Amino acid sequence: MTIPDKKTSLGLLRQMMVIRDFEETADKLSLRGKVSGGMHNSSGQEAVAVGVLSALAPLDVIATTHRSHHHTLAKGFTSREIMAELFTRSTGISGGRGASMHLGDVTKGHFGGNGIVGAGVGIAMGAALGIQQKGDKKVSVGFIGDGGMNTGRTWEAVNMAVIWKLPLIVVVDNNQYAVETFVGRVTGGGDLAKRAEGFGMKAFNIDGMDVLEVRKYVSEARERALAGEGPSFINALTYRYYGHNVGEKGQYRTQEEIDTWKSTKDPIDHFTAVVIENGYADQAAIDEMRASVRAEIEDAVAFADASPEPDISTIYDDIDSGKLGVQL
Amino acid sequence: MEEIFVPALGMAMDNAVLLEWLKQPGDQVNVGDIVAVIETDKTTLDLPAETSGVLGKHMYAVNDEVPAGNTLCVVLAPGEAEA
Ligand SMILES: Cc1ncc(C[n+]2csc(CCOP(=O)(O)OP(=O)(O)O)c2C)c(N)n1
Ligand SMILES: [Mg+2]
Repeated sequence: MTIPDKKTSLGLLRQMMVIRDFEETADKLSLRGKVSGGMHNSSGQEAVAVGVLSALAPLDVIATTHRSHHHTLAKGFTSREIMAELFTRSTGISGGRGASMHLGDVTKGHFGGNGIVGAGVGIAMGAALGIQQKGDKKVSVGFIGDGGMNTGRTWEAVNMAVIWKLPLIVVVDNNQYAVETFVGRVTGGGDLAKRAEGFGMKAFNIDGMDVLEVRKYVSEARERALAGEGPSFINALTYRYYGHNVGEKGQYRTQEEIDTWKSTKDPIDHFTAVVIENGYADQAAIDEMRASVRAEIEDAVAFADASPEPDISTIYDDIDSGKLGVQL
Repeated sequence: MEEIFVPALGMAMDNAVLLEWLKQPGDQVNVGDIVAVIETDKTTLDLPAETSGVLGKHMYAVNDEVPAGNTLCVVLAPGEAEA
């Protein structure tokens, strides 16, 4: 795999570190009751988010899932505005109205997370249709979990994208579990790329722990979409280090399985080694990067904590076009 | 110093009831020892120590309602004193 230039590579590494630190910090705060409604920790899945978003242009569209902090950070939103949203503060990315599962900003191509398994691909397909209708030079990425692979609406959206040759990229953030259910136990045929191929699109099963591999496949999918060749499907195999939601400690997988993924496949450890081997950084530079990431996340928490809650007078804002005159 | 607290689990952050103290102030505790048992609206939960040390004072009594996120007690490392 060819490695990008030094600045880009160090940027990819730092972004993955930001996600890990953000998630581990937010997880602890959530257990303390600081995060309204809890959250879904994406630790372990950093390479999928950073690989995908680093291959996109700033105004390309994404639509995501209930587990979306990593996608949102990788899209370039700040740890401050995301932490503030988790704390439901007015400075949050969604004005403190959405909390963890509803991060988004359509003006910047983020069509949101949502709590409906499988919905992200449908939303992204609609955005892709809009892009095509307007003749924009953009693509739309729909993130989905392995659990969302077995819902009907996902494949309706995929089918439409194929027949209309929409600029859609479906990315399966395949952490292998839907709450307690192992993907292999509920996936007919077993091979998700083959299933997608059956709909008439280019489809790949790839290593979602390798940021450069993800980046490469998404770049190529993007080129095809911009050339009018229609949608692609990328199943990125990864692993979730924590429970499905904060505090969940299920009995559905062994500690040994978790430890093996962490010690042999960790995306940050893996790419740190690549960066050092290439002479882009030494251990001291890596330590310095980690410290600067720590400081950034601490600042985000302090910012969120100090921010006000949304004012009650704004409660009817953003629920209609503003023309209905709904007032408190 | 480790704080043992009532974790906020799930969507709602309800209170828990302290059912039982299994360790007393001044007791030596080891990693994994259950220090307290609480009851939420869904389940009873054992709260283990994640570090070894000496237990500090009980901040709540049995049958108290404790808001999620609140600390029940601390585990003091050698040389540490309670704040
Ligand atoms: C339509 C629908 N069905 C069920 C649920 C409950 N639910 C929430 S998350 C989840 C599992 C999703 O697993 P996956 O798609 O693999 O995503 P992951 O949590 O692993 O990121 C389920 C079943 C839901 N939110 N929406
Ligand atoms: Mg999953």
